[in-house]
Amino acid sequence: MNHSIPDNKKDVSRRGFFQLTLGWLAGSFAVAASAAGAVRFLVPNVLFEPSLRFKAGKPDDYPDGSVTFMEDERIFLVRQGNTFRCLSAICTHLGCTVNRADHGYHCPCHGSVFDDQGAVKSGPAPRGLEWFQVTLSKDNRLLVDKNQRVAADKYLVL
Amino acid sequence: MNAPLPKRIWQWFTRTRVGRSIFRIGLPESNLEQSQVMVSSFLLHVQPVKVHRHSLRASYSLGLGLILLYLFLILTGTGVLLMFYYVPSTEKAYDIMKDLQYVVSAGLVIRNMHRWAGHLMVLFVLLHMCRVFYTGAYKRPREFNWVIGVGLFLLTLGLSFTGYLLPWDQLAFWAITVGTNIAGYAPVIGTKLKYLMLGGNVVGQEALTRFYALHVIVLPTVALLMVAVHLWRVRKDGGLSRPDEPGDIVQQIELKQLPTNKTYGLMELARGTTPQVGKNPEDEVFAWPHLVFRELLLFLLVTAVVLFLAIFWNAPLEELANPIHPPNPAKAPWYFLGLQELVSYSAFWGGVVVPGLLVTALMLLPYMDRQRKGVGRWFARERVVANTIFSVCLVIAVVLTIIGTSFRGPNWGWVVPWKQPPAITEGH
Repeated sequence: MNHSIPDNKKDVSRRGFFQLTLGWLAGSFAVAASAAGAVRFLVPNVLFEPSLRFKAGKPDDYPDGSVTFMEDERIFLVRQGNTFRCLSAICTHLGCTVNRADHGYHCPCHGSVFDDQGAVKSGPAPRGLEWFQVTLSKDNRLLVDKNQRVAADKYLVL
Repeated sequence: MNAPLPKRIWQWFTRTRVGRSIFRIGLPESNLEQSQVMVSSFLLHVQPVKVHRHSLRASYSLGLGLILLYLFLILTGTGVLLMFYYVPSTEKAYDIMKDLQYVVSAGLVIRNMHRWAGHLMVLFVLLHMCRVFYTGAYKRPREFNWVIGVGLFLLTLGLSFTGYLLPWDQLAFWAITVGTNIAGYAPVIGTKLKYLMLGGNVVGQEALTRFYALHVIVLPTVALLMVAVHLWRVRKDGGLSRPDEPGDIVQQIELKQLPTNKTYGLMELARGTTPQVGKNPEDEVFAWPHLVFRELLLFLLVTAVVLFLAIFWNAPLEELANPIHPPNPAKAPWYFLGLQELVSYSAFWGGVVVPGLLVTALMLLPYMDRQRKGVGRWFARERVVANTIFSVCLVIAVVLTIIGTSFRGPNWGWVVPWKQPPAITEGH
């Protein structure tokens, strides 16, 4: 009746070795897989977020030389003559909404300053504000696509 | 018997069959019973039967660890109460805050208590850390308990951060925005981490749900376990740190040197600083009543102070979260303003590198500073170098916090506090 007491001197048989190894491997794998599944579970597959492509109205809604802030989309629509551009209002530093100043844009959170072209003039922002692609839809509306980043000198010319 | 009436009632009750079955030992009246009461009671058995006089000196420990434990208890109690009303919904959360303020009986005071206890907890974690540093209490064998303490410091900040965004006011929304963007600067995993924290790309309902789960269950559970280990180790290391005494019996038996071919009793597992080793009996007093009643008194005092603060000062609640306009200036609570000042120079260096290095240095500290002298005394002369380095870091942190708090105005521009310009309410 002493089989329950482990005997350190006992040799491990081939069968015992494999049973032990496979047992440990299977157990460890189950735990690791559960952990990986838990992490993956937390990454959402479907997002219920506003579309990144949206119509911004008719070109004539924007007067010449205007910079219009669109609240829901957090962008500025910039019109100069017959050209249209769209500038992100999200500061590249830590994501606050920048304010339009007389010349350029100011971020209220950590003091980044951007010029009219969105380039960083001062402050901690690592990059200039993003420019998004503006096209014209079939029904003659401005179509902004926030997935498409473009250079500051790319205009929609009408 | 001339004892006061409550005591007589208590004595009668603990002699009845029911009373004895509950409390086993009544009010202890002999040294034997003073020991038995500590061992036989669930709430008291966590504590030793006898404590070293040094551990009781308020001028040494300042009671900071106990104060933190009590703040944690107050936060748990008030937090659970708040959960009976709170719903983590971007639509409802803010209205519920207003209900707590104006409709729910005692809602205002309970929310205030929760907020002020939270603020105090951050403050006292910092003070506790200073106390342990300046008395050299993190040295062997307490190195790892210091590391756990650093972990608890981070957890406290995490609990504060996840907590103050639950009201879904302006502070909440912009703190979550700035905080998760800082996480986004972390090397390699930054972008993924941010996505995981927000449960998406924008700050919204998913983010609120996640921070709620973290705040009410994940972080408090981890903190509770770590507090338990922290306190257990204090006890296993023989109470609070204290200077070596000439009469101490220093006994260092390494476990591995014990003979392995026999069964041995618990007394043979005793090492240098376990409770009964290295102590002279005359330096010790019974925990009942010397420790137990000091602890009870401190608990009452902490609760009274928090209640006092909660009655006379209201917890701030900013306007409803507005994703379009950050407040200007958009300021975090005081304990993050030093960090915010750093971040205003560079998000990567100020938000990731400097805090990361600081935490790493704190965790490695007890393994780097191996000098054994100067333990158990405030500002020991032998520790002048370590104390100076720590003090310089502390002063820098305090100065940064003061700058962030008082010298920064709209657009994070430089202002002097006695000429504060009015906050800007600007349109586009």
